[in-house]
Amino acid sequence: MIELAHVTKRFGDVAAVDDISLHIPKGTFCALVGTSGCGKSTTLRMINRLIEHSDGDIILDGQPVAAYDPVKLRRRIGYVIQHTGLFPHWTVARNIGLVPRLLKWSSADIQAKVEELMTLLGLPVGEFATKYPHQLSGGQAQRVGVARALAADPDILLMDEPFGALDPITREKLQDELSRLQARLHKTVVFVTHDMDEALRLADHLVVMRDGRIVQQGSPLSLLQHPNDSFVESLLGGLERGLKQAALTRIKDHMSPMGPTLPAHSRIPAAFSLRQALSMMLRDHTDRLTVVDQHDVPVGELTLRKIVKEAQPEQGKVRES
Amino acid sequence: MSLLDALPTPQVSWRQWRPNRVLFVLFSAMLAAVWLLDVVSVAPNRIVSGEGVGLIEAMGWMGASLVSAVILTLLALSLQPSRQGYQVVLVGVSLLLLLLPVGLMVASHRLISSDTPMARLNMGMAYWLMLSLLLLGWIELRLRLALSRRRLLLMLAGVTVVWGLCVMLGLESLALGQEFRARDDEFWRALHQHVTLVSASVAISIVLGLSLTMLMRRYTRCQKIAFGVLNFLQTIPSIALFGLMLGPLAWLAAKWPLLSQLGFSGIGWAPALLALVAYSLLPMVRNTYIALEQVSPETLEAARGMGMRNRQRFIQVRLPLALPVLLEGIRITTVQAIGLTAVAALIGAGGLGAFIFQGLGQAAMDMVLLGALPILILALIADAGLGALADILRPNDSVQSGDSP
Repeated sequence: MIELAHVTKRFGDVAAVDDISLHIPKGTFCALVGTSGCGKSTTLRMINRLIEHSDGDIILDGQPVAAYDPVKLRRRIGYVIQHTGLFPHWTVARNIGLVPRLLKWSSADIQAKVEELMTLLGLPVGEFATKYPHQLSGGQAQRVGVARALAADPDILLMDEPFGALDPITREKLQDELSRLQARLHKTVVFVTHDMDEALRLADHLVVMRDGRIVQQGSPLSLLQHPNDSFVESLLGGLERGLKQAALTRIKDHMSPMGPTLPAHSRIPAAFSLRQALSMMLRDHTDRLTVVDQHDVPVGELTLRKIVKEAQPEQGKVRES
Repeated sequence: MSLLDALPTPQVSWRQWRPNRVLFVLFSAMLAAVWLLDVVSVAPNRIVSGEGVGLIEAMGWMGASLVSAVILTLLALSLQPSRQGYQVVLVGVSLLLLLLPVGLMVASHRLISSDTPMARLNMGMAYWLMLSLLLLGWIELRLRLALSRRRLLLMLAGVTVVWGLCVMLGLESLALGQEFRARDDEFWRALHQHVTLVSASVAISIVLGLSLTMLMRRYTRCQKIAFGVLNFLQTIPSIALFGLMLGPLAWLAAKWPLLSQLGFSGIGWAPALLALVAYSLLPMVRNTYIALEQVSPETLEAARGMGMRNRQRFIQVRLPLALPVLLEGIRITTVQAIGLTAVAALIGAGGLGAFIFQGLGQAAMDMVLLGALPILILALIADAGLGALADILRPNDSVQSGDSP
């Protein structure tokens, strides 16, 4: 659990982070989003004391971070940065085993952990263990970066724009893997990004920052439904917001039972999102889809009318106000 | 933009061959040199200056045509070079380098009869030119074939050994060899002194340079002053620096008998060592400083974020990543010290420079060469050896060929 209470960071007279309060429960994936220079990175780096905060309290598992030895604190917090920061003179295996070695694990334990993590992140041990960072692609290097951060089994993972330097396809692939990993490991993650789509896709809790302050925080859906001001709204994509919200909504929460009419020709799995359902309707020129389970057995149906009416019931209200 | 620009331009390649101009010029110069200049010169004794001898007289028609044929072949190969062609040229150039002393043996056999034991054979203008042109050719080939420093070093060592063996065993009449045999004890002692002085000064400047750099990194305000002082030391002419230290050191030795018992005095090894260290400090400190500063801040920040302590970060990350550049500094310092130590002979520090100054005084060029050639070879060996070591320690560049991320 991470708790920030009225935290301020001043560089000279300028407040880079200005009186922010944030509560991140254990196992939550929290994304800090904002334009560059909004203080999101500084906030992240105050948690592992790479930057010392000027005012307020940062509390980690019931204890203020200022009470920890900074070095020991950092060893129990995983840290991933944009350009990976892998050591160019060390092999992949040695890079991953860095923190366990600092913690003086036995070499057998380190090796077992390194191999476990490499397998977990899709880096075949035989192929990659002895490679050097410059022999890796950007995506592979960042997998190693994530593995290194996870090596000592930290409860908390800090990620500073980890996929910012990757091409869109690799980025998307790594995002999927990260959410799968998180579903399995339940770490407390603080994730800094300027890419709103990335944040919406990954986060349980979204924090929008501007000029060192928190503008709005909450679940991705609640932010999409009720953006506080035009800044948050534009960050969320303005007119695209409806589609982004649809992308976050599962079909199975909005389908209706099979009606008396014949099932529609187009079929869509229940695990897909409303956005994908809309896309399929546009493609197939239909306003009705048959929803199927993973064995392709029909379980319900979805109509355009229902998506428009029910999926975004709040939309109308926000517009009016 | 007109439509014509979008069309593919017809390329008429009437001239398919592209000669390697560098090698072409080098080999042409070689051919001209062996035919137009004196190949060797013969002197009846050490004092009298020698008389030049041309190619045919020195080697005979057979030798002359053989040499010309080899050079002509290389010339032809340099007109239409391919990778294989370059490899053949490399073999040819190395062969010529190895055959040069054999040519001297032939010349010595033809020109010097056994009833003139004092007669000396000297390498002529053409020989020296040939030697330097071949070495230049080697450098060009190294670039073309992307040879590693290590391989070049091995080849250089091989050629040096063959030359040494020829001079010692089969070339009694070669002036350089005679000069060497006349004072071989002295030569080995001088070489020993030279190497000792160089290694001592380099070792001291590594330790001092590293400590100074650490201090400068800690007290950043002193940086400018420190670099200013080191720059100033570098600008003093070496002879002046040696001379300047005569007085103070002599005074110190007089004051502290213990020091003079250790051999410490105004002349000799002590001022030489001090001056060498003073000169070595600037390249040493500058390179160490740059080496430590050029390590990527992201890597260091990551090390901090992972929970490495300052000392761990320095020893495990900064220092190893700085090592290749740091070794460059040691290489520059060493090569510079090898050359400067020659001047140290002036204040009685010994070393190979003694032969140079003695030879200059007696107008005996062979003796100058006896000092200068080993200094040259020492510098080349140090340069190539330390360079190769830096290459080994830089895994990034040796594996990655060309495309940087």
